[in-house]
Amino acid sequence: MDAHIRKVYVPMTETGFYILLCLREEMHGYGIVQKVEQLTDGDIILSPGTMYGSLSKMEKDGLICFVREEEKRKIYHITELGQEVLDLETKRIERLYRNVKEVLG
Amino acid sequence: MSGFGEMKKEFKVFLITDYEEEGEYLSRMHRRGWKFVNVTLPGIYFFEKCTPEDVVYQLDYNEEGLNHKEEYIQMFQDCGWEYLMEYVGYTYFRKPRAEMKGDEKIFCDDESRLEMLRRVFQARMFPILIIMFCLIIPQFIGLMDEQRGDRWILLILYSVLLALYTYICAKFGVHYWNLKNRLKS
Repeated sequence: MDAHIRKVYVPMTETGFYILLCLREEMHGYGIVQKVEQLTDGDIILSPGTMYGSLSKMEKDGLICFVREEEKRKIYHITELGQEVLDLETKRIERLYRNVKEVLG
Repeated sequence: MSGFGEMKKEFKVFLITDYEEEGEYLSRMHRRGWKFVNVTLPGIYFFEKCTPEDVVYQLDYNEEGLNHKEEYIQMFQDCGWEYLMEYVGYTYFRKPRAEMKGDEKIFCDDESRLEMLRRVFQARMFPILIIMFCLIIPQFIGLMDEQRGDRWILLILYSVLLALYTYICAKFGVHYWNLKNRLKS
């Protein structure tokens, strides 16, 4: 992983994290919006402008790749690089969580 | 129903940095019973009389989206945003508040708001800066030394242009730093 990717994506936005998390399965943008809504009990509603921008940026940076198009919706999947970023981020969040538990008891 | 189908025109100037204000203006008009229909140069907004409703209007600036228009618009439609039109690079969307869960916008974090500002800057501000530095400022300086009789008219014209460009640049800067600072805190 080059320095640019690390700088831009670690730590990453909540939107970015959920996109990578969801794209371990093939999915389109709106599918991710629905999945995240369900995962967070409706707390997080990802917006289309944010989604569209993040997906095109992540595709350009090689974190996700375009698989096929279905009814005018682009379907994506995570790449190896994307999985590496997701792992890094997951470790960071786990440490954060452990530290919160430790400090607050 | 009587009164419906009635149209109204309004002239309004929004600078390229004022996309949020423009959306708020369209929402305000809709709440007063004037539904946005079209906008044409140099800033004439067309409205149609309608039942007053709380509708959120939002502008996006995304050249890549416009190059892949079908899937771009599909994404917004899936999320309940009605695609309206494009005007000088901006795409207009609206969604009734009654269909929203909470306070919805087309961007849900400051990072993506900043990204959009960057896209506007690269596509629209950058050319303006080039024009300013390569044309207007040299012309302005050149005119100061000349003794032509009409130079005052040109000097005034260039001063107005320079003031306008400086103002737009400043607005851009303020907007940018505000978002940046919000991200840091």
